[in-house]
Amino acid sequence: MDINYVLSVVNSALRSTTPILLAALASAICTRSGVFNVALEGQMLIGSFVGIAVNWVTHSPTLAVLAAIVAGGLVGALVGILQVRYNAADMVVGTSVNLLVGALTAILLFVVFGVKGGFKDPALVPLPKVKLPVISEIPYLSTLFNNLSPLDYLSYVIAIVMYIYLFKTVKGYHLLSVGVKREAAESMGISAVKTRIAAVIASGCLCGYGGVALSMGQVTLFAENMTAGRGFIGMAACNLGKNNPIAIIFASLFFGFSDAFAATTQNTIPSQLTQSVPYIATILALIVFSRKRKKKATKTEESKAEAVS
Amino acid sequence: MKHITKIYGNGVLANDDMNLELAESEILAVVGENGAGKSTLMKILYGLEHPTAGEIYIRGEKQVFKNPQDAMKSGIGMVQQNFMLLPPFTVAENIVYGNEPRKSRFLFDRKKAKAEVDELSERYGLGIDSNLVVEDCPVGLQQRCEILKVLYQNADIIIFDEPSAVLTPQEVDSLLDTLRNLAKAGKSIILITHKLNEVMAVSDRCIVMRGGKHIATVKTSETSTKELSAMMVGREIVDAKIPQATPGKTVLEVNDLVKTGEAGKPILKGCSLHVNEGEIVGIAGVSGNGQTELLHTIVGLMQADSGNIVLDGKEIGGLDVRSIRETGCAYVPEDRNTMGCALKATLSETMLMAHQYEEMFNHKGILKHKTAAERFTALLEQYDVKYSTLSQLSGELSGGNLQKLIVAREMSHHAKLLIVSEPTRGVDIGAMEFIHNQILKQRAEGGAILLVSSDLTELLKLSDRIYVMYDGFINGELKRAEAKPENVGILMMGGSADD
Ligand SMILES: Nc1ncnc2c1ncn2[C@@H]1O[C@H](COP(=O)(O)OP(=O)(O)OP(=O)(O)O)[C@@H](O)[C@H]1O
Ligand SMILES: [Mg+2]
Repeated sequence: MDINYVLSVVNSALRSTTPILLAALASAICTRSGVFNVALEGQMLIGSFVGIAVNWVTHSPTLAVLAAIVAGGLVGALVGILQVRYNAADMVVGTSVNLLVGALTAILLFVVFGVKGGFKDPALVPLPKVKLPVISEIPYLSTLFNNLSPLDYLSYVIAIVMYIYLFKTVKGYHLLSVGVKREAAESMGISAVKTRIAAVIASGCLCGYGGVALSMGQVTLFAENMTAGRGFIGMAACNLGKNNPIAIIFASLFFGFSDAFAATTQNTIPSQLTQSVPYIATILALIVFSRKRKKKATKTEESKAEAVS
Repeated sequence: MKHITKIYGNGVLANDDMNLELAESEILAVVGENGAGKSTLMKILYGLEHPTAGEIYIRGEKQVFKNPQDAMKSGIGMVQQNFMLLPPFTVAENIVYGNEPRKSRFLFDRKKAKAEVDELSERYGLGIDSNLVVEDCPVGLQQRCEILKVLYQNADIIIFDEPSAVLTPQEVDSLLDTLRNLAKAGKSIILITHKLNEVMAVSDRCIVMRGGKHIATVKTSETSTKELSAMMVGREIVDAKIPQATPGKTVLEVNDLVKTGEAGKPILKGCSLHVNEGEIVGIAGVSGNGQTELLHTIVGLMQADSGNIVLDGKEIGGLDVRSIRETGCAYVPEDRNTMGCALKATLSETMLMAHQYEEMFNHKGILKHKTAAERFTALLEQYDVKYSTLSQLSGELSGGNLQKLIVAREMSHHAKLLIVSEPTRGVDIGAMEFIHNQILKQRAEGGAILLVSSDLTELLKLSDRIYVMYDGFINGELKRAEAKPENVGILMMGGSADD
């Protein structure tokens, strides 16, 4: 096979990874604080839409990205307040928010742009691509790092920052403690409710970022439901990476690759089949992984098992 | 504390015009029956509950504690019955939790935390490895961790709510030493306990409570266990004479049970034992030598690698918990809060647990709530459980009363085999006497009883035969006449009976 072709697949994998990585990090911060957030999908989709909308109005990719992050954060705040403050059931809140955002963006698409299905316009300003100083001169490496936006690079920095935050700072320790045992945190005057809501809002911002990376990354357009389950794949990647931001990078790359694989084989293999590759990969990865973990869990479960049947 | 009165939201009068004074370097014991209001009084002092009336003064200054943080700022710390530790983190991380040393503004300085904790544990002679992860620590160490946490916050007054209930006898000894050291170092200590020998051993003064009221304050040197227990219960406790056992046919037979834990660590190394009808068989041992696992294998919570278990002539190894229970086994687990009940279930739900399939309570899949309620009311009355309604949550009961409820549930079904683990943990002496009598009554009716207890006195009093476990095997079997604290102690430490 042509090496340049392989490298271009890797390149497209890197670009597909970004939204998944952000969703996975969002999932991690929620899980670590003890919240099960199923609304990642909706938090992303709002980012994708708002990004494009603001881009179209202001012609500024920077403002578009910031607006997407704020929009994601707002949806996150809604989820956090409902789930944490009012103890609403996580699955119900998550599913409703996902459906709500799906419908809302479809309506706004029609109201604002007067189109159905998708919106693409030459007036939309794409994100600048990063031109690495030396690497772009080297033949193979230049293919590998071709066409990556600042958002792609920044996502890895975010993962590392999150790692430092969680495991090296006092605030991060408090967040972890809330996830481990909320009574213990409260006995020290650390508010579990505030910490958790903050975590969910942060997850919203991360998802908004992930969403705009999707609508303004490889392409610059918005399509209805364009996140297509990436929020859930992010949850899988988070699970696979055991809620550890560094491990999550690798788990997300795995899903990014299956995404890229699906995209590049579309023409040779029936596309219905290839497009299901990322989802099949998700299921397989979860099965393999949970079997490994099950052995470890048996012990804890046994000790927690109720004495009564 | 002056004229403290507390009425809970559900109308329970838990404290009635209580007064309490504490001097510097003093160890004050607070004793009283289950539900007397001891924990409530301490929760008020620690800011966890607010008094309905009354005031708190520290060094002459009036205090109002909105929450435990306020109390901590005034130098009050509390080691609670259920620990507030973070299991996956290290001892050092847990101790500095909430007041972490920092590098720069944000970073958690774990090195400094460890150094400070080591220094503190050295100063008070607590001897703890600050690198250990809390979930791997035995309960005794976890408790030390809690004590250090309180010391780290510079508390001058330290409250201990039944600190010895969860400890092994050895751990209790070192806890009592710690209490003395702390008092010597100038800390004032309040100790709640049901074990009067601890009161006699460490305290300077003792307050007796009953029904939320102050009954008496006595100097420990001027009283006796007898006098204290009479004041607590309002009557004298007499040790019942235990009649000779008349064992019948074998009910439980365990042969050569082997179980290997995680990482190939052997837990049970070939345990064999049997329990006959009309007999109480005790299992002695320092906790963590396989007793819990042995019981879990018998009741079906865990599967053994090899060996067999026969209950009432039927092989039960490998069966699930429900089938084993239906074959004729009842179980009082050692930890009432995690295994014994669901703290957020109502009392009647808790009482029904594991019995929901029985015809008495279940008509073709529909629960007979009325029959159940009638029966439960009678049962709780019989066991003298203090509660307000069947629909209150089990978590609202005082510790001892919850224990009595679980014992009542398990004993009332007269299973052929009754397994009881720490049946009197946290119950007052009156209730202890009652539970002991119930166990003896079941023996008289031909029940087979397997008893695990870390309280050697209890074990020696009740058991007709004792197996001593050490390091996963049975290191000796003693008949009632042969069993003395000394030889059981030797076997518990791994020695042989001939030593
Ligand atoms: N949160 C609560 N809500 C309602 N009632 C409560 C609550 N906590 C305790 N009570 C009631 O207040 C009374 C005193 O309880 P408390 O826990 O202070 O007793 P205690 O002396 O500590 O008993 P024990 O020795 O069993 O621990 C009991 O009747 C109990 O049922
Ligand atoms: Mg209590």
